[in-house]
Amino acid sequence: MSMVNEIFIDVLENDAIALTYNSTASDIPEWDSLNHIALVVAIEKKFNIRFTAKEIQEFKNVGEMCDGIVLKLSKA
Amino acid sequence: MKPGDSFENEFVITQEVQNGFISLFRDENPLHMDHRFAREKGFEGVVMHGNILGGFLSYFIGECLPVKNIIIHSQEIKYVKPVYLDEVLLLKAEIKNIYESVNAIEFNFAFQKKINAIVVAKGKFQIGII
Repeated sequence: MSMVNEIFIDVLENDAIALTYNSTASDIPEWDSLNHIALVVAIEKKFNIRFTAKEIQEFKNVGEMCDGIVLKLSKA
Repeated sequence: MKPGDSFENEFVITQEVQNGFISLFRDENPLHMDHRFAREKGFEGVVMHGNILGGFLSYFIGECLPVKNIIIHSQEIKYVKPVYLDEVLLLKAEIKNIYESVNAIEFNFAFQKKINAIVVAKGKFQIGII
């Protein structure tokens, strides 16, 4: 979660971001549709993983996305 | 499209192109307009505006790629060498990464002089398929 938090701070240029498991786009004003793309690309680059569009759509919050990252890395 | 696929197109900064750029954006810095000034500063002649290459890049992305339903997410350009009037440039772009999750494609690109392949500008851009 801390590494993902750093990515959010960097991409959204907001040092005050403190993600929790249940954080969603509605909690972070800068998390709009274009920044969503930038966030996903930055996360995929950082962890050298690739999500499918379906996987991204099914994540309900940041925590589930982090779980998805861990799952991808465990299979690598 | 897949990583490694490449695309290219030729461009020339003609006097008409430069005049159009100046007419629109009013950048009349002597480096771009005054041959004597430019030579005194060590250049071969007046240096073409770097952002004209940005315009060429826009045309390339919008008109030369095999997909038309696209939007530019980001672009970075680094100017390496000066470009002079009427030089023929070759823009080459190669797909670096595809992000299927968000329908995004990242390219590396370079403008090079056609006559000797010297790179005058390079960078990267990311587009989204809409």
